[in-house]
Amino acid sequence: MGEAERSELEDTERVATPGTGSPPTTRQELTDAERRDTFSRDALPYLDQLYSAALRYTRNPADAEDLVQEAFAKAYAAFHQYRPGTNLRAWLYRILTNTYINAYRKEQRRPDEVSADVTSADGGEFSLYDRISETTARPAEVEVLERLTADEVKQALADLPEQFRMAVYLADVEGFSYAEIAEIMGSPIGTVMSRLHRGRAALHRALYDYAADRGLVPAAGGAHVTTDGSA
Amino acid sequence: MPGDDCREALEQLHTYLDHECGADLEQAIRAHLGDCPPCLDRADFEQQLRAIVARKCKDAAPSGLLDRVIADLKET
Repeated sequence: MGEAERSELEDTERVATPGTGSPPTTRQELTDAERRDTFSRDALPYLDQLYSAALRYTRNPADAEDLVQEAFAKAYAAFHQYRPGTNLRAWLYRILTNTYINAYRKEQRRPDEVSADVTSADGGEFSLYDRISETTARPAEVEVLERLTADEVKQALADLPEQFRMAVYLADVEGFSYAEIAEIMGSPIGTVMSRLHRGRAALHRALYDYAADRGLVPAAGGAHVTTDGSA
Repeated sequence: MPGDDCREALEQLHTYLDHECGADLEQAIRAHLGDCPPCLDRADFEQQLRAIVARKCKDAAPSGLLDRVIADLKET
Protein backbone atom coordinates (compact mmCIF):
# COMPACT_ATOMS: atom_id res chain seq x y z
CA MET A 1 0.00 0.00 0.00
CA GLY A 2 2.73 2.46 1.05
CA GLU A 3 4.78 1.48 -1.97
CA ALA A 4 1.89 2.19 -4.38
CA GLU A 5 1.18 5.50 -2.71
CA ARG A 6 4.78 6.56 -2.98
CA SER A 7 5.14 5.79 -6.68
CA GLU A 8 1.84 7.57 -7.33
CA LEU A 9 3.16 10.58 -5.49
CA GLU A 10 6.35 10.50 -7.53
CA ASP A 11 4.28 10.28 -10.71
CA THR A 12 2.29 13.37 -9.81
CA GLU A 13 5.51 15.18 -8.91
CA ARG A 14 7.02 14.25 -12.22
CA VAL A 15 3.92 15.49 -14.04
CA ALA A 16 3.85 18.69 -12.06
CA THR A 17 7.56 19.42 -12.46
CA PRO A 18 8.08 20.45 -16.10
CA GLY A 19 8.14 24.16 -16.69
CA THR A 20 7.67 25.20 -13.08
CA GLY A 21 10.76 26.52 -11.31
CA SER A 22 9.95 24.96 -7.93
CA PRO A 23 7.97 21.70 -7.94
CA PRO A 24 5.48 21.14 -5.14
CA THR A 25 7.54 18.95 -2.85
CA THR A 26 6.04 17.04 0.03
CA ARG A 27 9.34 15.81 1.48
CA GLN A 28 12.44 17.75 2.38
CA GLU A 29 14.31 18.21 -0.92
CA LEU A 30 17.75 19.73 -1.19
CA THR A 31 18.32 22.39 -3.78
CA ASP A 32 21.10 21.65 -6.29
CA ALA A 33 23.42 24.02 -4.47
CA GLU A 34 22.68 22.41 -1.10
CA ARG A 35 23.20 18.96 -2.53
CA ARG A 36 26.54 20.01 -4.01
CA ASP A 37 27.66 21.61 -0.74
CA THR A 38 26.68 18.55 1.30
CA PHE A 39 28.41 16.20 -1.11
CA SER A 40 31.54 18.37 -1.21
CA ARG A 41 31.68 18.57 2.56
CA ASP A 42 30.96 14.89 3.32
CA ALA A 43 32.25 12.88 0.35
CA LEU A 44 35.21 14.79 -1.11
CA PRO A 45 37.39 14.33 2.01
CA TYR A 46 37.59 10.63 0.99
CA LEU A 47 39.39 11.53 -2.25
CA ASP A 48 42.85 10.35 -1.14
CA GLN A 49 41.48 7.12 0.34
CA LEU A 50 39.48 6.31 -2.76
CA TYR A 51 42.43 7.14 -4.96
CA SER A 52 44.64 4.74 -2.93
CA ALA A 53 42.04 2.02 -3.33
CA ALA A 54 41.67 2.76 -7.05
CA LEU A 55 45.43 2.54 -7.49
CA ARG A 56 45.50 -0.84 -5.72
CA TYR A 57 42.60 -2.04 -7.90
CA THR A 58 43.88 -0.81 -11.27
CA ARG A 59 47.65 -0.85 -10.53
CA ASN A 60 47.99 2.12 -12.85
CA PRO A 61 47.89 5.85 -11.90
CA ALA A 62 46.08 7.04 -15.05
CA ASP A 63 43.36 4.38 -14.75
CA ALA A 64 43.08 5.07 -11.01
CA GLU A 65 42.42 8.77 -11.65
CA ASP A 66 39.77 7.97 -14.27
CA LEU A 67 38.15 5.45 -11.94
CA VAL A 68 37.98 7.89 -9.03
CA GLN A 69 36.60 10.65 -11.23
CA GLU A 70 33.92 8.35 -12.64
CA ALA A 71 33.04 6.97 -9.19
CA PHE A 72 32.59 10.45 -7.71
CA ALA A 73 30.42 11.51 -10.66
CA LYS A 74 28.24 8.41 -10.18
CA ALA A 75 28.08 8.91 -6.43
CA TYR A 76 27.00 12.51 -6.90
CA ALA A 77 24.33 11.54 -9.43
CA ALA A 78 23.02 8.91 -6.98
CA PHE A 79 23.50 11.00 -3.84
CA HIS A 80 19.74 11.26 -3.26
CA GLN A 81 19.78 7.46 -2.72
CA TYR A 82 22.33 7.71 0.07
CA ARG A 83 20.60 7.56 3.44
CA PRO A 84 22.11 10.14 5.84
CA GLY A 85 23.45 8.52 8.98
CA THR A 86 24.52 5.32 7.23
CA ASN A 87 28.16 4.65 6.41
CA LEU A 88 29.07 7.11 3.65
CA ARG A 89 32.62 5.75 3.29
CA ALA A 90 31.33 2.20 2.67
CA TRP A 91 28.74 3.58 0.24
CA LEU A 92 31.45 5.39 -1.75
CA TYR A 93 33.65 2.28 -1.78
CA ARG A 94 30.77 0.23 -3.09
CA ILE A 95 30.32 2.64 -6.00
CA LEU A 96 34.08 2.74 -6.66
CA THR A 97 34.32 -1.05 -6.57
CA ASN A 98 31.26 -1.58 -8.78
CA THR A 99 32.56 0.92 -11.29
CA TYR A 100 35.89 -0.87 -11.35
CA ILE A 101 34.41 -4.36 -11.64
CA ASN A 102 32.08 -3.34 -14.47
CA ALA A 103 34.82 -1.61 -16.46
CA TYR A 104 37.27 -4.42 -15.79
CA ARG A 105 34.93 -7.23 -16.76
CA LYS A 106 33.85 -5.42 -19.89
CA GLU A 107 37.23 -4.34 -21.17
CA GLN A 108 39.85 -6.72 -19.94
CA ARG A 109 38.73 -10.21 -19.03
CA ARG A 110 35.80 -12.51 -18.70
CA PRO A 111 34.72 -13.58 -15.21
CA ASP A 112 35.65 -17.25 -15.70
CA GLU A 113 39.26 -16.26 -16.35
CA VAL A 114 39.21 -14.24 -13.16
CA SER A 115 38.14 -17.24 -11.07
CA ALA A 116 40.74 -19.49 -12.71
CA ASP A 117 43.31 -16.88 -11.78
CA VAL A 118 42.23 -17.01 -8.15
CA THR A 119 42.46 -20.80 -7.98
CA SER A 120 45.91 -21.07 -9.53
CA ALA A 121 47.41 -18.47 -7.22
CA ASP A 122 46.23 -20.26 -4.10
CA GLY A 123 49.45 -21.45 -2.54
CA GLY A 124 47.93 -22.80 0.68
CA GLU A 125 48.86 -22.00 4.25
CA PHE A 126 51.80 -19.73 4.99
CA SER A 127 52.95 -18.25 8.29
CA LEU A 128 55.21 -15.25 7.85
CA TYR A 129 55.73 -15.28 11.61
CA ASP A 130 57.09 -18.84 11.52
CA ARG A 131 59.27 -18.20 8.50
CA ILE A 132 60.82 -15.03 9.91
CA SER A 133 61.24 -16.31 13.46
CA GLU A 134 63.11 -19.38 12.17
CA THR A 135 66.02 -17.14 11.29
CA THR A 136 65.55 -13.85 13.10
CA ALA A 137 66.00 -12.98 16.73
CA ARG A 138 62.66 -12.22 18.38
CA PRO A 139 62.62 -8.47 18.81
CA ALA A 140 63.73 -8.01 15.19
CA GLU A 141 60.86 -9.92 13.54
CA VAL A 142 58.75 -6.88 12.76
CA GLU A 143 61.83 -4.78 12.17
CA VAL A 144 62.56 -6.89 9.08
CA LEU A 145 59.17 -5.99 7.58
CA GLU A 146 59.52 -2.36 8.60
CA ARG A 147 62.57 -2.22 6.33
CA LEU A 148 60.58 -3.15 3.23
CA THR A 149 59.88 -0.03 1.19
CA ALA A 150 56.37 1.22 0.46
CA ASP A 151 56.93 0.31 -3.20
CA GLU A 152 57.79 -3.27 -2.25
CA VAL A 153 54.72 -3.67 -0.06
CA LYS A 154 52.49 -2.12 -2.75
CA GLN A 155 54.00 -4.44 -5.34
CA ALA A 156 53.45 -7.49 -3.10
CA LEU A 157 49.78 -6.52 -2.89
CA ALA A 158 49.62 -5.77 -6.62
CA ASP A 159 50.92 -9.28 -7.35
CA LEU A 160 47.80 -10.84 -5.81
CA PRO A 161 44.87 -11.87 -8.03
CA GLU A 162 42.16 -9.22 -8.17
CA GLN A 163 39.63 -10.77 -5.77
CA PHE A 164 42.27 -11.43 -3.10
CA ARG A 165 43.84 -8.01 -3.56
CA MET A 166 40.53 -6.21 -3.08
CA ALA A 167 39.48 -8.23 -0.02
CA VAL A 168 42.85 -7.83 1.71
CA TYR A 169 43.02 -4.13 0.89
CA LEU A 170 39.51 -3.44 2.17
CA ALA A 171 40.15 -5.38 5.41
CA ASP A 172 43.75 -4.68 6.30
CA VAL A 173 44.24 -1.18 4.93
CA GLU A 174 40.73 0.27 5.15
CA GLY A 175 39.57 -1.70 8.19
CA PHE A 176 36.12 -2.58 6.81
CA SER A 177 34.15 -5.36 8.54
CA TYR A 178 33.40 -8.65 6.77
CA ALA A 179 29.80 -7.54 6.25
CA GLU A 180 30.89 -4.23 4.74
CA ILE A 181 33.37 -5.95 2.41
CA ALA A 182 30.68 -8.42 1.36
CA GLU A 183 28.42 -5.51 0.47
CA ILE A 184 31.18 -3.52 -1.26
CA MET A 185 32.29 -6.50 -3.36
CA GLY A 186 28.81 -7.93 -3.86
CA SER A 187 29.90 -11.33 -2.51
CA PRO A 188 28.66 -13.59 0.32
CA ILE A 189 30.46 -13.21 3.66
CA GLY A 190 31.84 -16.78 3.47
CA THR A 191 33.47 -15.95 0.15
CA VAL A 192 34.97 -12.78 1.61
CA MET A 193 36.43 -14.71 4.56
CA SER A 194 37.96 -17.31 2.26
CA ARG A 195 39.45 -14.64 -0.03
CA LEU A 196 40.85 -12.84 2.98
CA HIS A 197 42.38 -15.98 4.43
CA ARG A 198 44.02 -17.04 1.19
CA GLY A 199 44.84 -13.49 0.14
CA ARG A 200 46.67 -12.76 3.37
CA ALA A 201 48.68 -15.98 3.07
CA ALA A 202 49.63 -15.06 -0.51
CA LEU A 203 50.50 -11.48 0.50
CA HIS A 204 52.66 -12.66 3.39
CA ARG A 205 54.44 -15.13 1.12
CA ALA A 206 55.12 -12.31 -1.36
CA LEU A 207 56.40 -10.05 1.44
CA TYR A 208 58.77 -12.80 2.51
CA ASP A 209 60.05 -13.12 -1.05
CA TYR A 210 60.67 -9.37 -1.30
CA ALA A 211 62.51 -9.47 2.04
CA ALA A 212 64.57 -12.42 0.76
CA ASP A 213 65.40 -10.58 -2.48
CA ARG A 214 66.76 -7.74 -0.39
CA GLY A 215 68.78 -10.14 1.77
CA LEU A 216 66.77 -9.22 4.89
CA VAL A 217 65.87 -12.91 5.40
CA PRO A 218 67.27 -16.12 3.86
CA ALA A 219 65.97 -17.02 0.40
CA ALA A 220 62.78 -19.10 0.28
CA GLY A 221 63.53 -22.83 0.44
CA GLY A 222 66.75 -22.38 2.40
CA ALA A 223 65.01 -22.69 5.72
CA HIS A 224 63.51 -26.08 4.88
CA VAL A 225 66.74 -28.13 4.80
CA THR A 226 66.61 -30.72 7.59
CA THR A 227 69.42 -31.30 10.09
CA ASP A 228 70.71 -34.47 8.44
CA GLY A 229 71.24 -32.57 5.21
CA SER A 230 68.39 -34.07 3.18
CA ALA A 231 66.03 -31.61 1.56
CA MET B 1 53.62 -26.60 25.64
CA PRO B 2 50.90 -25.51 23.20
CA GLY B 3 47.54 -26.77 24.48
CA ASP B 4 43.94 -26.64 23.30
CA ASP B 5 43.69 -22.98 24.31
CA CYS B 6 46.67 -22.11 22.12
CA ARG B 7 45.24 -24.06 19.23
CA GLU B 8 41.87 -22.33 19.49
CA ALA B 9 43.45 -18.88 19.88
CA LEU B 10 45.72 -19.35 16.86
CA GLU B 11 43.01 -20.87 14.68
CA GLN B 12 40.80 -17.87 15.37
CA LEU B 13 43.59 -15.28 15.53
CA HIS B 14 42.65 -13.51 12.30
CA THR B 15 38.94 -13.35 13.04
CA TYR B 16 39.88 -12.17 16.54
CA LEU B 17 42.12 -9.42 15.18
CA ASP B 18 39.35 -8.53 12.72
CA HIS B 19 36.93 -8.22 15.69
CA GLU B 20 34.70 -10.75 13.97
CA CYS B 21 34.85 -13.82 16.22
CA GLY B 22 31.95 -12.92 18.54
CA ALA B 23 32.02 -11.48 22.06
CA ASP B 24 32.45 -14.76 24.01
CA LEU B 25 35.31 -16.06 21.92
CA GLU B 26 36.91 -12.63 21.83
CA GLN B 27 36.94 -12.54 25.61
CA ALA B 28 38.35 -16.09 25.85
CA ILE B 29 41.11 -15.34 23.34
CA ARG B 30 41.99 -12.05 25.00
CA ALA B 31 42.28 -13.88 28.34
CA HIS B 32 44.45 -16.56 26.77
CA LEU B 33 46.77 -14.02 25.13
CA GLY B 34 47.19 -12.38 28.54
CA ASP B 35 48.42 -15.71 29.97
CA CYS B 36 50.45 -17.01 27.06
CA PRO B 37 53.47 -14.97 25.91
CA PRO B 38 54.17 -17.11 22.79
CA CYS B 39 50.61 -16.63 21.49
CA LEU B 40 50.69 -12.95 22.42
CA ASP B 41 53.94 -12.57 20.49
CA ARG B 42 52.29 -14.07 17.43
CA ALA B 43 49.20 -11.87 17.81
CA ASP B 44 51.37 -8.76 18.15
CA PHE B 45 53.30 -9.74 15.07
CA GLU B 46 50.14 -10.16 13.00
CA GLN B 47 48.76 -6.86 14.22
CA GLN B 48 51.99 -4.98 13.50
CA LEU B 49 52.19 -6.65 10.10
CA ARG B 50 48.75 -5.29 9.20
CA ALA B 51 49.73 -1.86 10.46
CA ILE B 52 52.86 -1.90 8.27
CA VAL B 53 50.89 -2.95 5.18
CA ALA B 54 48.26 -0.28 5.87
CA ARG B 55 50.82 2.46 6.43
CA LYS B 56 52.84 1.63 3.33
CA CYS B 57 49.86 1.28 0.96
CA LYS B 58 48.53 4.81 1.23
CA ASP B 59 48.80 7.28 -1.61
CA ALA B 60 47.72 10.87 -1.99
CA ALA B 61 45.58 11.77 -4.99
CA PRO B 62 47.57 13.70 -7.60
CA SER B 63 47.03 17.44 -7.64
CA GLY B 64 44.40 18.29 -10.19
CA LEU B 65 42.18 15.27 -9.50
CA LEU B 66 40.17 17.14 -6.86
CA ASP B 67 39.65 20.03 -9.30
CA ARG B 68 38.42 17.66 -12.00
CA VAL B 69 36.02 15.96 -9.60
CA ILE B 70 34.65 19.34 -8.48
CA ALA B 71 34.28 20.48 -12.09
CA ASP B 72 32.15 17.36 -12.75
CA LEU B 73 29.82 18.30 -9.86
CA LYS B 74 29.18 21.71 -11.37
CA GLU B 75 28.31 20.22 -14.75
CA THR B 76 25.48 18.08 -13.42
